[in-house]
Amino acid sequence: MLMSPLAQARRAAAWALATPGRLALAAGAVLTLAGVAGLLFAWSGIYNIAASRGHLKVVDHLLRFGMENSVRGRAPDMNLPTQPDEDRIRLGAGHYHAGCAYCHGAPGTPISPVAAKMLPPPPDLKDKVGLWKDGELFWIVKHGLKYAGMPAFPSLERDDEIWAVVAFLRRLPELDRLAYRTLALGEVEPERPSGAEIAGGGSDQEAVGACARCHASGAAPSSRLVPILQGQPAAILESALRDYAAGLRDSGVMQTAAADLTDNAIRKLAAYYAGLPRPAVQPERTDLEIVARGERLARGGDPSRGVPACLSCHDEQASPAFPRLAGQSARYLEGQLAAWRAGLNDRSPTGRIMAPIGSRLTAEQARDLAAYFASVMPARRVGR
Amino acid sequence: MSRLRRLVLSLILFVLPACQQQSALAPAGEEAARVALLSWILFAGAAVIFVIVLAALGFAIAGPERLRRRLRAEGAIRFWGIAFPAVTLAVLLGYGLWLMRETIASPSPAALRVEVTGEQFWWRVAYDGPATKPIAEANEIRIPVGVEVEFVLRTADVIHSFWVPSLGGKLDMIPGRTNRMRLKAERPGIYRGQCAEYCGTAHALMSMEIVAVSQAEFDSWLAAAKAPTVPVSETARRGAALFLASGCGACHAVRGTRAEGTIGPDLSRIGARRYLAAASLPNTAENLIRFITDSSAAKPGSLMPPFAIFSPDEQHALAAYLASLK
Repeated sequence: MLMSPLAQARRAAAWALATPGRLALAAGAVLTLAGVAGLLFAWSGIYNIAASRGHLKVVDHLLRFGMENSVRGRAPDMNLPTQPDEDRIRLGAGHYHAGCAYCHGAPGTPISPVAAKMLPPPPDLKDKVGLWKDGELFWIVKHGLKYAGMPAFPSLERDDEIWAVVAFLRRLPELDRLAYRTLALGEVEPERPSGAEIAGGGSDQEAVGACARCHASGAAPSSRLVPILQGQPAAILESALRDYAAGLRDSGVMQTAAADLTDNAIRKLAAYYAGLPRPAVQPERTDLEIVARGERLARGGDPSRGVPACLSCHDEQASPAFPRLAGQSARYLEGQLAAWRAGLNDRSPTGRIMAPIGSRLTAEQARDLAAYFASVMPARRVGR
Repeated sequence: MSRLRRLVLSLILFVLPACQQQSALAPAGEEAARVALLSWILFAGAAVIFVIVLAALGFAIAGPERLRRRLRAEGAIRFWGIAFPAVTLAVLLGYGLWLMRETIASPSPAALRVEVTGEQFWWRVAYDGPATKPIAEANEIRIPVGVEVEFVLRTADVIHSFWVPSLGGKLDMIPGRTNRMRLKAERPGIYRGQCAEYCGTAHALMSMEIVAVSQAEFDSWLAAAKAPTVPVSETARRGAALFLASGCGACHAVRGTRAEGTIGPDLSRIGARRYLAAASLPNTAENLIRFITDSSAAKPGSLMPPFAIFSPDEQHALAAYLASLK
């Protein structure tokens, strides 16, 4: 006897639904079949992986929907202070130019045609940042986005640097070409005077690795979150660059900047900055009581907490293996001490010395020390 | 065969401490002698009682019926089970207290006072100096022979315990308390001591040496502390400059120099010590360098940060300088 297909399906369904055991069996069989079919599909090569073809519209919508919900669900509920923070914006601009501008473009510089052919194409951020809250931007910059080619931040430990990038992104929509170049390039002028020089390797891209964009060379750094390098001993500049390049010191910004420096370039750079005269920076004036407390700690340490005197390694006469701290900005010093207190940077030879000491400082002691060192005018240029 | 070897090895390990000047059974001081006497009495008494118990057990299992009946009589249990232990233990307690009477009471002031502070994981030592300033030492305690020395015991962090078995009993160092203990060395010699209370990772490597010398020798040693050593050789002078520039002086003191740190051990006479790192490594140039460059490999748990920043040449200069400090 012949049954219609509908009747056959009905009978099969009745059989499968009769007991829970049969239902499970049927479900298992369907799942297995689906898995096998998927494998066959992937194995056959029917699917076109070409980025040039784009996604189906429905796939594109589905991916975007999933991405937006995932970011909103995971982003921290934190905001930047309402008052714009110029130090953060300048540091963020410096990193944006080195790490983000190639794919996302910058005011006055279109997205690279190579990056524009990624799938999905990296968006021009001035249209996008307004759609996200601060915490959501922070989360995307920190963790990146799967399936979109958006990378995570080079160091997941330095939230302070990531917030600087977010602060810059908030400013980005207002910037024109000139304002952007002032922020991101500082005193560096990458436009070459002659065609020969441009042909010989000079273009905007070369300025990406230029230290002076953030650290300056003649003047002081434009952001107080960036250290003054002029007059530091060459040995510490060299070891710092090597540690960043090897990933032994935690900083997304500096790991990016130091990654492709050759040994020879590191030596030359260190000698160059060590030999530069220190820019005239007025010592910072703050609460005298805090400065006095910081000075006591810097000179005598805190033996009860196992904290030795900072100046035994960080004054002008100390070994060139250690940095001089006098005259650095309080904001920079506080940021670095926060990193030590959080247990970062404990992998390089000098980092292994400082890490146990830094982790013993209290938050108050770190603030006092930063205020003290920022208030001191360096006695003389070291230039070793 | 392997079981026999293991047995012999463990026996040797058991007996070894007696050969190493760190044994309560090799007394070299009054108090240690009393402790040793009490120990021997306890060992002998316990041996006799053990034999009696074994014999009673044997008879109870396989003895003649008459003896077995007497063993299980109520009277026997009252005597051997209650009266005998109570009397024996009471007598031993009384004898022990009587033996230790001098340790507990200290009527007269001691001839010499040494302050010892337990720290993770070393011993800070201070002698009353000729001037007002105490003379700092670490991990090696020099005392004169035949003189009662009062040890003032404190701790800077957790509970430690001061124990030099050949000279006396052990006494804990407890946070917030000052404990006192008197020891007298009868013969010149080197007596090893050990922290006897678990205090952290490097507890097992927290040792010390008490060096007992004649009174004259001790006096000249203490007086020499007033004249700091000056590095003679060119290498040692380079080491001295490196020592100061590298920040060593922030934690360590060397008398007569800018190095006045009090966080780590005083190094004014480190060259004269027999051992390094709280008597856990022999004092050689190799060990000095190893401890400086990778302290936690040389002594796991050490709180000194590793200074892996020196070239081999600089390492030797530093080692030469430290070895010259005597």
